[in-house]
Parts: sequence; C-alpha cells; structure tokens
Amino acid sequence: MRRPETHAARVIDLDAVRASTLPNGLRLRVLREGGSPTVSYATFFQVGSRNERPGITGISHLFEHMMFNGALKYGPKEFDRVLEARGGHSNAYTSNDLTVYYEDFGAAALETVVDLESDRMRSLRIDDGALEQEREVVKEERRLRTDNSVFGLMEEALEALVFQAHPYRWPVIGWMSDIERISRADCEAFFRASYAPSNAVLYVVGDVDPEAVEALVARAYGDIPAGPPLPPVPGGEPEQRGERRAEIRFPAQAPSLLLGWRGPPARGPDAAALDLAQVCLAVGEASRLRRALVHGSGLAVSVSASFGWRIDAGVFLLYAELAPGARVARVERALADEVAGLAARGPSAGELRRAQALLRSGVLHELGTHHGLAQALGQAEALLGDWREAGRQLETYAAVRPADVRRVVRQYLAPERRSVVTLVPEGGR
Amino acid sequence: MSAITQPPLRRERLASGLTALVASRPGVPLAAVRLVLRAGSSLDPAGRFGLAHLVAAAVRRGTRARSADRIDAEVESLGAELGAGVDEDAASVGLSAPLEALPRLLAVLAEVAIRPAFPAREVAQLRRREVAGLANDLDEPGVVADRAALAAAYGAHPYGHPSEGRGRHLAAARRADLAAFHARHWRPGRATLVVVGPVDVEATLAEVRRRFGGWRGEAGAEVEIAPPAPPASGVVVVDRPDLTQAQVRIAAPGFARGSAEHAAGVVAGAVLGGGFTSRLMEAIRVERGLSYGVRARFASGRAGGLFYVSSFTKVETAGELVRVALDELARFREDGPSEEELGRVRGYLGGLYPLSLETHEAWAEKLAEMEVYGLPADEVTGFVDRIGAVDGAACLAVARRYLPGERRVVVAVGPAARLEPQLRALGPVRVVAARAVM
Repeated sequence: MRRPETHAARVIDLDAVRASTLPNGLRLRVLREGGSPTVSYATFFQVGSRNERPGITGISHLFEHMMFNGALKYGPKEFDRVLEARGGHSNAYTSNDLTVYYEDFGAAALETVVDLESDRMRSLRIDDGALEQEREVVKEERRLRTDNSVFGLMEEALEALVFQAHPYRWPVIGWMSDIERISRADCEAFFRASYAPSNAVLYVVGDVDPEAVEALVARAYGDIPAGPPLPPVPGGEPEQRGERRAEIRFPAQAPSLLLGWRGPPARGPDAAALDLAQVCLAVGEASRLRRALVHGSGLAVSVSASFGWRIDAGVFLLYAELAPGARVARVERALADEVAGLAARGPSAGELRRAQALLRSGVLHELGTHHGLAQALGQAEALLGDWREAGRQLETYAAVRPADVRRVVRQYLAPERRSVVTLVPEGGR
Repeated sequence: MSAITQPPLRRERLASGLTALVASRPGVPLAAVRLVLRAGSSLDPAGRFGLAHLVAAAVRRGTRARSADRIDAEVESLGAELGAGVDEDAASVGLSAPLEALPRLLAVLAEVAIRPAFPAREVAQLRRREVAGLANDLDEPGVVADRAALAAAYGAHPYGHPSEGRGRHLAAARRADLAAFHARHWRPGRATLVVVGPVDVEATLAEVRRRFGGWRGEAGAEVEIAPPAPPASGVVVVDRPDLTQAQVRIAAPGFARGSAEHAAGVVAGAVLGGGFTSRLMEAIRVERGLSYGVRARFASGRAGGLFYVSSFTKVETAGELVRVALDELARFREDGPSEEELGRVRGYLGGLYPLSLETHEAWAEKLAEMEVYGLPADEVTGFVDRIGAVDGAACLAVARRYLPGERRVVVAVGPAARLEPQLRALGPVRVVAARAVM
C-alpha cells in the first residue's frame, strides 16, 4: 500500500483563487476551472441556528425559505423561473453555523445569477402570505425529517443532551412551537441583522473569467450598505461531569442506540484526528465497529459514525440499529468497548493508512466538481477562518499519526463525557 | 447553450463476450469503475424475490482465493469502497479507484464478479442482516409507499416487486439459490465493464483483458422481460396509525426507456414535476403550502415504465393533495404546456445536463446506462437537440396517452381511519397492513 502522497495533494491551485473585498465588506473568491462548461456560485452567510435565541429557534432556516419569495426587481416566483429558464438550478441549506445559497448553471447564465442574487441581498420583500405558506412548508419538512423519523427524533434529543448552555442544543429546523410563532417582524429584523454584505462571502468556481466576475460583482453588489457585525454568540458550555441519558418511545421496528460526545471546534489540530477516528471506527466494511458488531457478533444491522465540523464544538456520533433479539445494554457495551480499545492502544499503522486513503479519496471526490470546490472553499473559510485550508485538507489528514488518534479518542470520547439516546419500540402495527 | 462533448471512448468486446468501455478524461486522479450486468431483480425467481439483490451483495463476501475480510481490507486500504446494487434491470458492482491502485482494484473486482464462493457463514449473516434491514424499512414511510405503489401498479409483473425483495423470500433463500442465480445470470456476454478517468487507455484495456479475459460463463438463451400489462385502477392505504404525515404516490402506465417517446416524456415530466417551478410544485407547495416537496416523472425500465408522482403532507390534507395533483394532471392532459413553459424547461434541462456529467462517476453511470438500455451512441451529445425538438404537440401526445386518467393507482401511507374517508371519492379503498407490503 502506498502512502497518500502530499505532493499529489495540490488538486486545488490556491494561487489561482482570486480573492477580493468590496468596500461594503462583501468578500469574493473566484476560481477559474476547466472541465465542464458550468459554474457554481455560492453565497455563504455567517449565520445559523447558533445565532438564534429561544423563542425563535429555526428562524435561520425558515428565513432561508423566504429568500426564494421575491425581491424588488425579481418579484414573487421569479427567482427560480428566471434561473431555470437560463439553464440553472438553485437551492440552499442551513446548518448550526451557516446559511448557504447556491446556483449551478451553464456558464452563459452568470450575469443573470449575479443579478438575481444581488437583487435579493439588496431588497428582499417579506410579505405575510409568503411567510404563512413557507411556515406550513417548513412544518412539513420538520414532520418528514424529525417527527416521523427514528433517527431525526434521536438526533434532536441527543443534541439537547450534549449541549446544555450553547445554542447548538436546539435543532436547526427549530422547535415546532417556535416555527409557529416566528413573525414577519422577526424575519425583517433577522434580515437586517444577518444578511448584510459584510456578513457574506461569494464563491464563484468554474468556466469564468475572474476579472470579469470581479467587475460584475462590484457593479451589482457595490451599492448595498454594510451592516453592523452580528452580536457574539454566547458560546460557553459547562463541563460535563458524567454520562447523560435520554429515552425515546416510538412505534419503531427495533431499538436503536445513538451515542454522542462534544468534540473540539473545527479550527485546531484535533478535528482532523477525530475524522480519522471516525473512519477507523465505522467507515467501510473493514472498520472496527462494522467488523465487530455487523459482521462478527451480528448484534447490529448497521453501524455508522459521524463527526460534523462546527465553529464552536462538533459532535461525534455513533449510531447502531440493533439486530432482532439483540439487547440494548449488550450493544451499548460492545460499542463502548470498541471506543475504549481505540482509546487504549490507538489504531495500528495499517488501520490509520486505510483511514487516510479513504479520506483522501473522499476529498478528491468532493473536489471533482465545481459545486464541490465552491463548497469546500466556503466551508474552509467559515469554519477554519481561511479558504486556503480547503487545499491543505489532504496534507492535514496525511500528517495525523496513530498517537494523535489515540489522544483525541481518549480526550473527547471518554465514557464520562458520553450522552446516550435509546429508542425503545412501543405500540404495535 | 454549451455543447457537451463525450470523452474519447474505446470499446472492445473481449473473446469471453465481456464488453469493455474505457473513457479517458481529465480531472481528479480517481477512476470510476463499474461492472454492470443484465442480472436485475426482474429475473428473481418465484418465491425468491430479492435474490438478485442478495447475489450482488454476497459476491464480495468471499471468493475462492480471498475471504470477505481480506477483500474489505485490501480494497479499503487502497482508498476505495466497493459498492454493489441492483435495480429491476441490472446489477452493478463498482468503486472509485485512486489511479495508482487501479490495476490491483480491477483484479479484486474481477475475482469478486467471476469467482465468488458464497461462504455459508457469510451468506447466513448477510441474509439475516437483509431481512432485519427490510423490517427496519417499515420505519421509513417513503419506502413503504414506494413498495406499495410498485406492487399496485405492476401487479404480478416482474417489475412489481422491489429490488430489495420480500422478507420471507429473503429468509428462504439458500446458498445454492445464490450460486445458481450467479452462474445463470452473471455471464460475460451479459456484462459491461466501464472505466472512466484520467487513465492510460491502452494500459487499462490490457489490465482488463488480463483480469477479465478468462471469464467463462454458462451458455444460455437471452432472457427478456415482457412488457407489463396496463395496471388496474385502485386506491391503496397502507395503515400506519402512528404517523402524523402521510406519504402519497400516484402512478399510471408509462413507456420503456428505449421508447421514441422518451424525450417528450422528459419534457412533460419536467413541466409537471421537475425543479422548483413545475406545475405540481406551484400548486402543492407554493400556492397551498401542502408539502415540502413534490416530484413527478416518467420512470422507465427496459421492458416498460410508469408515470410517477411522489409527495407527502400532514395526514389531514392527504385527500386535498391527491385532488390537487390529479386536477393538475387532468388540466395538462387537456392543454399541454404553454410556450413559456416549454422554453423554460428546454433551457432548464439543457443547462443542467452538463452538470449531471461533471464527474468520472457520472460518466461511468451514463455509459453503463446506455449499455443496459441499448441506447444510441448520440444519447449524450444529442440530448439538447432531442429536447429542443419536443414541441407542445409531442408533450400533449404523451400526456394524453399516459398521464393518470381512468387508469391510475393512488397510494397513501398513514392512519387508515383518517385517510380512507379522504380518498373514498377516488374509488374503493383497499386498506393493507404495513407488514404486508414488506
């Protein structure tokens, strides 16, 4: 097996990224990329559920929906109509930390996209009818992803265990009662506070002329006034002094288990090492948990792990769907034993190489599209403070040693810092 | 509109009968590898629904030379993950190979496809996992709805059971069933190997010949699936008393993938249920806030297809959603698309097409699809012209022929006691238990 080569890591030519800032604070990063005759255009607003407060949880996400309901130049229903007719499509997502809008399109539609996006940043219109309709749509989204979903219910309960003080404790989609409560005035205040150009970064990647993009963006966005900085997030979280548990009763087929730990912030040396721990534990058939619980003892039908990078603190998750007849306590012990084993001895050299090779392929795969490149630059800048980090990802993973993985597993995935959510099947069908 | 160019493609029919397709294109240093075989779930024997799926999942669980653990460790240490799956027409095994590891990964792929051992212990474990996984799918209302809709629309036709199979059929499948299915349907003459990436074409072909050249398959007649009969009309409610949101499906007979009506179907489907500006999205989400999403399209296999609408809404508005959708479809059957809609959809489909072919994986998928469905060589390069040539009359013709009218199936998953009264007006409602669908 060959080691991941760092010199092959230069899949993004960072020197080719043209970075600039308009006087109103809007930041722009443009990367000309060959390949397909397409462009990805992403607008990252540095606002997400961590910037919310109780009573209006979910406003970042509900507001994301409002951004598609008309502005001054392009009125209601025009945004998608104009974009789709020009051969593009748009969507958006909201996370704990960010709200991101993107358009992917044939290169000829660039001017239209700049016009559409600058129009809504400058002059979004928020009317009561659209708010009521989007409120219903979002409630359906919540019913789909959370209220009628085993994993959705468990994840929501887990976040509320892992965080007691930090805003990460409420779900990005918001509590149902808050979705019902958010008013037009809340939305207007949210727009003024969060959607100023000084809180946004544009990423334009693909078949473009960077100089022309700069001129176009300056012309379209230049007159939008800067806004005040967002108030700081109350980021504190008390130390966890012992395991926390919750139980959910729901008419499911089989019990499941979700374990979670508060991890480090994305920025810093530990996040990459935890990514490798995640792969060692549960990515791929040769991972420890899949070998032990799925292929070996057969205690679980499926096992997965995730570590989502966040500005303040990521959450490391282990999820297992139990096999028929398996006992929850036994599966929980088996999961804990595997984590403890990794904490005690760290991964073997071969195991770490496997994890590094898989992560390398994953990064390369993501960087294989204009969309993936734009997102990687944006995520790196938002979470790590610098878009250049997107190009260093492979080197960062390749530099992790077995001792680093052992240290972060010991430090972050300790039993007394664990939170456990158990799904107990209830009722018959 | 930017033109789409197809990467230079080498096609070679090996002496064994295997078709090899190697396309070299610049990009990230990974090669997409797909082995695709005409061994899909429509070939599942009676009483063994899910066998094709089991075989595709089992081939990597041990070969004559390598144990499952060794295969997993070897493939993953090279930075690849082996994936396998089936749909109604085809089985596929594939991976994304770091360039420098391509020869070794081709060797593993060949061994897995050609010489699986189906070790008894591995088969037993896999079967247990699949049965349990299928049971857990009962917790996914969308999956339950799709399964019920397929069964209602296709009836006893081989497309009428989902590729994942049925629980009790999977539980009854024996190792010998797997081995027999593999011997019969995993044959080089029914297989295509696709490799796409920044590869050296000659070296890659040499490697393919070396690894797959000795593949000898049973001789046997081609198996073709007959076109499905038009479905009966019906309304089915799958009872899930606990749900607060109903999953809804509407299905009507469509056409096969190779049909001359395909382009018109793509355009009509996009006007009705593609993107954010489609008629159904407008009527259901934008005008009424009934759902987070709704999609409609012609879904086509080798032997036939369906027109398929899929959405969800809170239980109390399920009847309203179905009525709104059927009204929109009826209106389209009358008038077809407007010129404005046609222009917009042509722009939309043409603009997005290059985006759907940005990666090596996507190209490998497309080339495999062209083989399985026997599509012409200009499938990709001619796409924009074919879409551009679809006029209002062509859309109206496919709409009148296929959109749900007299013959249509409506399926809803949720509390039957509250759904049945809302759907009664559409015809007699058949209530089934969720377990019966699995």
